[in-house]
Amino acid sequence: MMQIIGKSAELQLEKDVSTRYLPVVIAAMIFLAALAIGGLFSLSNAISDWSATLTGNLTVEIAFDPTADLDKKVTDAVELLSKTPGVAAARAIEQEETLKLLEPFLGRNAALGDLPIPRLIEVIIDEDSAIDLAALNEKLGEAVAGARLDIHRPWLDKMVLLGRSVQILAAAIMLLIGAVTVIIVIFAVRTGLIMHAEVIQVLHLIGARDQYIAEQFQNYFARLSFLGALPGLIVAIIVMFIFNFLVGSLEASMLPPLSLGVEGIIALLLLPLMVALLTRFTVRRVVLGSLERMM
Amino acid sequence: MVRFENVGMRYGLGPEVLRDISFHLQPGSFHFLTGPTGAGKSSLLKLLALSHRPSRGLITLFNKEVSSLARDDLPAMRRKIGVVFQDFRLLDHLSALENVALPLKIAGAKNSQIYQHVAELLEWVGLGRQVDAKPPTLSGGEKQRVAIARAVINRPQLLIADEPTGSMDAEMGLRLMYLFQELNKIGTTVVVATHDLGLIKRFGNPVMFLKDGMLTTRKQDELPSQFSRDGG
Ligand SMILES: Nc1ncnc2c1ncn2[C@@H]1O[C@H](COP(=O)(O)OP(=O)(O)O)[C@@H](O)[C@H]1O
Ligand SMILES: [Mg+2]
Repeated sequence: MMQIIGKSAELQLEKDVSTRYLPVVIAAMIFLAALAIGGLFSLSNAISDWSATLTGNLTVEIAFDPTADLDKKVTDAVELLSKTPGVAAARAIEQEETLKLLEPFLGRNAALGDLPIPRLIEVIIDEDSAIDLAALNEKLGEAVAGARLDIHRPWLDKMVLLGRSVQILAAAIMLLIGAVTVIIVIFAVRTGLIMHAEVIQVLHLIGARDQYIAEQFQNYFARLSFLGALPGLIVAIIVMFIFNFLVGSLEASMLPPLSLGVEGIIALLLLPLMVALLTRFTVRRVVLGSLERMM
Repeated sequence: MVRFENVGMRYGLGPEVLRDISFHLQPGSFHFLTGPTGAGKSSLLKLLALSHRPSRGLITLFNKEVSSLARDDLPAMRRKIGVVFQDFRLLDHLSALENVALPLKIAGAKNSQIYQHVAELLEWVGLGRQVDAKPPTLSGGEKQRVAIARAVINRPQLLIADEPTGSMDAEMGLRLMYLFQELNKIGTTVVVATHDLGLIKRFGNPVMFLKDGMLTTRKQDELPSQFSRDGG
């Protein structure tokens, strides 16, 4: 039983000074990884909100113009669209709704009308109809100045693209953290193998299998990683709470609060387990690989 | 049981410390290995213990040619061999009891079966009161007895001992030689390296004589009365 918890009876790895720094480094790694996960999942939730709202529909965008009566333009455009064959429905998106979509970027308290936000009209098209979108766009532009059929939704698409890029960045950071962790663990294990070469040889000579020796190393190092990961994760969670608290209390914040969602929280809580498993696997590979070169 | 054919051995890129060693040990035999210091006794035992590989020649143990063994076969074979190292090689942070129990533990025996047996053996070699002592607190002779107990705890088929009585008084040395003899009677093949010619004469077992890395078999009465100090 003690073996599983990580005590290494014969090798006494726990007496090694050289491996004591490992939990500290792992704690720092997990701290960074937890923040990256926080960003990753918050963004992914925001992105799916944006895209869900506008998926499957066309949007008509009426350019912001402080001198014109935008409300009238919207009404005209809706009327024209509703009469167009093939259009099932056309609905003006309330400005509050638009703002809500943009809240992650603009903050909760951005004043209506102050911002050069385009007015949006949601257009739902009959499923089996084939509308000439280019012609409709032209007709719309003639009837209502500044109106444009937004086939590709470039504006929101760019937001989604930006979100995705940041997501990829966060994922790359995670990979980097994983790689650095593996390298650190490899060095720690190599040192351990050299320091304990004599005991390992004795164990071999009295009939120990490589597995037996590898297990002592992998259990011990996995435990070190796990114990280092816990404080790293706890500090990261505290930092995220503080961040959200600050975001919530700041007026007109440009930053969205972090909202991880259930998957994000599960991913966070799995982090220590994952790093322990990664360590275990790495240690096993290194130890078995180097024992193989012994007689 | 054990067969060496034209075996040579060297450490790294150094000179050959064993040259053209050929011999055959019958199962259940008891041999002494002797020769002056530096002759290569310990080196030959390292080959027998599967601790080092020969640089040439064939070694056959338990009817298997050693160089053809897969790595996975080594542990099982080593468990049939008990080794008393010249420098004991005990694990300093384990008690005498745990040191002796280690081969059983490694072989997967249950704790409950191990310790009774181990304690009895330690009692027998006169260490009944030192079961919980760590090797650094033991005298040379006591460490040597722990090492011997560890080598025999598994009832090995082949027992190899390198100067096993060098660090203890004559009486205890004899007692342990009798232990080896008892084990030999129940079928264990025994090889004892020693430069104690008195011990060899007393027991009268066949002798392998090593000098300058070469092996000759000598009768008891052909042995020198003592080894020259420079080791030849
Ligand atoms: N680990 C080693 N590395 C290099 N040379 C060694 C090593 N061990 C022993 N030797 C050399 O091998 C020769 C035989 O040594 P050894 O087998 O210990 O002899 P013995 O046990 O008969 O005294 C000696 O010349 C010794 O210097
Ligand atoms: Mg020697």
